[in-house]
This record gives sequence, C-alpha cells and structure tokens, in this order.
Amino acid sequence: MSPALCIKKTMQGYSSGEVRGPRTDLCTAAGRRSSLTGHVPHPSTTAICLLLTLLSLCWLASATAAQPPTDRAATASSDPVTLRFVSWKPDHQRVWDDAIAQFTKAHPHISIVRELAPHSSTAYHDLLTQKLKNRDATVDVFFMDVIWVPEFSAAGWARSLDDRFSPAMRAEFLPATVAVGRYGGHFYGIPSRIDAGLLYYRQDLLKKYGFAAPVTWEELARQADHIVAGEQQANPTLRGYSAPFKQYEGLVCHMLEFIEGNGGALLTADASKSTLAAPQALAAVQFVRDRIIGRLASRAALTYQEPESLSVFLQGHAVFHRNWPYAWELANNPTRSTIAGKIGVAALPGFAAGHHAATLGGWLYGISAYSQHPDEAWALIEFLSSHAIQKKFAQEAGIAPSRQALFADLDLLSTMPQLRNHFAVLQSAIARPRSPVYPALSHLLQRYFSRALAVDDIDLAQEAAITDARIDALLALTRTAP
Amino acid sequence: MSLPEPIARHRESLAAWTMVAPALLVTLVFALYPVLDSFWLSLHHIFVGIPSLGRSFIGLENYVNLLRDPVAHQALFVTLAFVVLSTVLELTCGLVIALVIHERFRGRGLVRAAILIPWAIPTVVASQLWRYIFNDQYGVANLLLFGDRVAAYIPWLAYPSVAFGIIVLADVWKTSCFAALLILAGLQVISDDLYDAAKVDGAAAWQRFWHITLPLLKPALLLALLFRTMDAFRVFDLVFVMTQGGPGDATQVLQFYGYQTLFTEGRLGYGSAISVAVFLMILGLSLIYLRAIGSNLLERRRT
Repeated sequence: MSPALCIKKTMQGYSSGEVRGPRTDLCTAAGRRSSLTGHVPHPSTTAICLLLTLLSLCWLASATAAQPPTDRAATASSDPVTLRFVSWKPDHQRVWDDAIAQFTKAHPHISIVRELAPHSSTAYHDLLTQKLKNRDATVDVFFMDVIWVPEFSAAGWARSLDDRFSPAMRAEFLPATVAVGRYGGHFYGIPSRIDAGLLYYRQDLLKKYGFAAPVTWEELARQADHIVAGEQQANPTLRGYSAPFKQYEGLVCHMLEFIEGNGGALLTADASKSTLAAPQALAAVQFVRDRIIGRLASRAALTYQEPESLSVFLQGHAVFHRNWPYAWELANNPTRSTIAGKIGVAALPGFAAGHHAATLGGWLYGISAYSQHPDEAWALIEFLSSHAIQKKFAQEAGIAPSRQALFADLDLLSTMPQLRNHFAVLQSAIARPRSPVYPALSHLLQRYFSRALAVDDIDLAQEAAITDARIDALLALTRTAP
Repeated sequence: MSLPEPIARHRESLAAWTMVAPALLVTLVFALYPVLDSFWLSLHHIFVGIPSLGRSFIGLENYVNLLRDPVAHQALFVTLAFVVLSTVLELTCGLVIALVIHERFRGRGLVRAAILIPWAIPTVVASQLWRYIFNDQYGVANLLLFGDRVAAYIPWLAYPSVAFGIIVLADVWKTSCFAALLILAGLQVISDDLYDAAKVDGAAAWQRFWHITLPLLKPALLLALLFRTMDAFRVFDLVFVMTQGGPGDATQVLQFYGYQTLFTEGRLGYGSAISVAVFLMILGLSLIYLRAIGSNLLERRRT
C-alpha cells in the first residue's frame, strides 16, 4: 500500500488575491492562546490540570509534526516522507495537481502537502517569511519571487543549492533566470519560469486603422488617441491603455520600464545611490503622470493591480495593455475573454526607437534551510523544473518556460508561436535592484511613484530628491553593517 | 499564646493567591510578556535582511527616528483624522439609531436585530464589500448615480481624499450600531418619570432631549467614545483590503505602516517602536477617558 497523494489546501486565499493577509495566519496562534485562557476564569486544580494537559498536547503535536510520520506500510528501500510545498494560489490548479500526482506516482514514498497562500506576491512574502523567521521545520519547498533571493540568502532562510545545481544543469536554463537565483556567490533558487513585461494590443483595431505595433510611447499615445476617437460611436468605453498603477509591487515593475525606457535607472550601476531625481527618470515619471493617468488610461488604473487591469483589456475596454507572458493564454481563452483571437503581443515601447525595457519577473523553487528532507525536496524541484513539466505548464497554463531548449521545441512553438518573439525580450529583461533590504526599498519606491501619479499638487523633483536621500540611507545601512 | 487571627488571615490570603495564580500566570505570559517584549525589541536595531547588524541595543534611537520620519508623520495625521471623523460620525449616527430603536413600534425586535448585522460581518468581508460598492466599473455606487451612462462612472478609490472618505464611511457603517447598542443601554436606565414630570411642566420634545436625555446619557456616551476611539486608532483591515495605504499614501495609517515595517520589511526594532507608540497613545487616551468617566460617576453619586 502506498501513501496516497495528499493535497491539503490549508491556506486557501480569496480569489482576488490581495485580500487575505498573513494577519489571518497569525490568528491561529492567537486563537490557541485564547482557547487556553478560556479555561482560566475558574481557578482550580482542574483548570490547572486542563491547562497543563493542553500545553503538553500542543508540545506533543508540534514534536510529532517535526518527525516524519511512521507508516507500517513503508517500503523497505526508503521511509515515507511528507514534504510541505508552499506556494501562492495558482490560476491553473488542475495543472499543478496533475504535475504533483505524477511526482508522487514516481516517488511513492513521498507525499506532498501543499500550502496555498494569496496570489499577491507581497501577501505571500509576509506569510512565508513569518514561518521562516520562526524556523518552521514543516516548510520544505517554497516558491520564491526573484526579488526575494538576496533577503532569503542574507537571513539564512534558503538552503544553498551549489552542490546540487550543477554547472551542466545551469547551462540548460536562460542565463537571466539563473542569475537571479544567485546571491553572494551561492545558488538558492531553481527557475520555474520566466516573466518579463510585454505589450499586448488589439491586433484587429491596429490593423483597421493601418498601424503596426508602436515602438515609442509617443507613437503608442498617437495610435491610441486615433483609435479611441475612431471607435467612439461603436465603443464609448474604449480607452487607450490599461496597466496596474496601484500602490504595490507591480507599480515598481511598470515604472522601472518607463524609466529604463527613457535611458534612466532606479539605482546607479554600482547600486549604491538612488537616481530618481536624474532628468531621464523624472521625465519618464512626468510622462506617466501627464499623458497616461486619466488620459490614455482611466484614472481608475491607480486602483488596479494586475487582475483588474487585465480584466479591462479582456472586456475589450483598452487598445493597449501591459502584462506578463501568462496573460496571452487568458486573453485568448474565449471563456474568459471577449477579445480572444484579436490580440497581438510585442516588446514594450521606449521613449526613443531601440530604447525599450522590460522588467524581469519570475519565480524560483527554493528549499528551506530548516527542512529536514532536503534530498526529497530536491527530487521534487528537479521534477517540477524538468523539461516535460515546464512544457506541460507552458501548453496548459500559458507560462513562459525557463529552459532554453523549450524555446526551440517545435511541438511547443506550434501551439505557442509567440514564444519565439518573446525570446529576445525575455533574454534582455532588467532585474529590479538586488538587495537584502529590497522590501523596504520597494516601499519607498511605491510611495514615491504613487504620490507622483495620484497627488494633484506635487513638486516632482523635490519628491524624487527626498526619496533618493531615503533610499541612499537605506542602502548605506547594508554596506556599513559590521 | 498563639495568634490565630493573623495566621488565619495569612492562610486565607494564601488561598486567594493560589486561586488567582493561574489567571495571573496566563495574563503575565500572554498579555504582559508580549507587550514588554515588543518594548524591549523596540530598543534594538534589527533588520532581518541584514543579519550582520545582529541585535544591537540602541536605546531610544528608534523613537527618535520615528519622530523625524515623514511617513510616520503622514500616517499619524491620517490616523488622527480618521479617529476624529469616524468617532464623531459614529457617535452621532449611534445616538440617532439608539433613539429610534428605543421607541416602541411594531417590529422593533426585528429592527434591533437587523441593526446589528453590520457589526456581525467580519471587517475583512465588509471592506471587500465596500471596495466592490465603489468599484469604477461595476460598483453599485456608480450604477445608482449614473445608471447605464458608463462613461460617467467615477473611479472613487483613485482620488486620495475620496479614498480616505470611503474608509471613514465604511467604518461608520460598520460600527455605528455598536455605539448605538451602548447608548441604548444608557437610554433604558433613564426613568420615564423624569419625562412625565417634564411633560407636566410643559417641556417640548427637544427640551426634554436636551435637558434630560443628553445629560443622563453622558456616561454611556463617554463609554462608547472610549471604545470607538481605541478601536479607530487600531484601524488596519479596511486599509489592508481596500487601498493598501494608497493612492499616494492617502490612507496610510499607523497600524498599517507598522505592519509593513515589521512583516514585509523585516525591521523588527523600528516596527515594534511604531506598535509601542500606538499602544502608548491608546493607553494615554483611555486613561483620560477613564478619568472623565470616573469623575462623572462620582458626580452622579454626590447628587
């Protein structure tokens, strides 16, 4: 008898993702406390006994949880092991279930318990790091955003994979995705996919008005204005552009694309100073403030994260849209989209021809430093990041693979021809600043960008200078640390 | 000669201590310890992302930095504005609701129960409801105002001051009924004889309200004010679900700032300093209120 596949959705998030926060997670600890205090109002020996029993039960439960379960039906070769895999709630649950069922079939002694966090990267980060701060030994494998690697490395949460992630294996992945998994000379993450910002557009409308995909933002604005004016009668709610501009991580991703697309940068090349007050960066932010918010895009974009801005595009309310590669599958899925088959995808524009930038995103598999089953964890990671499984995710969930060979896989290219075009964009995508204090850095950037776009009377140059000074102070902290 | 009485008293107090010990122990472990530990943490410089900093003791430096932090100033300003606006509106609405459900009318029991529904809905769910109500595309607020003139729809939460107003509105909607409940309890204590006597003296309805109801409601109102202020100071869920502090930090409140600093940024010392500062402000406010309520009770006893 082999241990059955065991998938427990212990932390089901709300469908809209950002709603459910780690606060709920903390409640479990608080809840346990209040259940203890609940027995106290009658101070008597029974109460004390109850209290002690409860405490010892808790201790026992945690002690047994840390031990691998003993199963009498264990095969002689290897003891049964339960791995806990933490990730966010995926769009394509079935594909994940399939992949994990395949794995447990091939490794009958390993059963996988999945923990699902909210889809929002920040909410998931807070929840996962809370567990890692507590050295939670029940977390084995986790999904890791590319921006977390320096922090996870510095804090000692992620296990170094140097001896397992061999040079031959590294060569099979896109160099950009291997590079983001590395920090301080060590490897901590195996790339599961690659993400980079792309420009989606209404192919049918551009064709109708005789346009090719725009190369500069000015060109995009001209085309959008022309098309929106032309479609006024047929579709009065049509706007030129839809993208996420809410105060959250996605805002940093998109603003980086404007700033780099204008020849600016967030930090100096040696990553020691913030350069938001530099003329190119200021001009790029000014462009978004003056030309996009409330004009090309509805002002509502200031409240949009990815799902909301995608939904505007899927409902046919926008000519152009910024998103990651996964949006292609959703936009062409007739059950989700009113514009299936009518869209094109290209590199994001820049401010001068040949000058464009895409932010590098993507997710890595990591092993917790506190996992007691690193070998089994590695087996799972090897399986999930394999050629066959990445191909499955690409075909069935529209996720861009991180393995080079898949971009030349004719079978895959026949169903996902856009991958061929993505390749150059994905290869040259720009990573966000790599710092162990990235979450704090990102909050400063989010604050600045959101204020720059949403507040009526604002001295942009002054605001940028203040933010530069605060980021510089933060970066200095990481250098002066003894 | 033995001294039976002191020994007996001693035994009695020993028994008393034994009996309260479990409760005391739990309070110490689960209430006092976390507070003291937060305070202790707030005296250190701890950055999860920079473990080489260790846990260096820096005294009150976090608090000094907090006083100079422009984001904290903004968050304090937003929090205070939220506290003042929401408590004033909640007490006003609560008073009106309480006066209505204090009257005798058909179906009063049903109305009293219904009025508690907003209070019974978890704040996270209520926040999500309000976010939908003010959605720019399918929100019912736009539908009621503009019907099918979709082009006129307003993205409410995209305007800094409007987004702040909506957070206040959601809180008022959710907790006015709680204030109403406390005020209703106060109303029920007021003797009908007073109103009858006033009527005999020819006092108009508003005179009876102004000279009888309101003065006698003072303790209940103060109590409601105390609860609502403390609660409003801790506002978090509404911001977390509806705006994440945006747009442009317009809804950035102290508790959310503290949460971001502690949980996302991993600045355990500074984040604890923010939490302790909020704790001290609430403590100070409640001491002032309690004194006011106490003196009020004494006044009543003297008369």
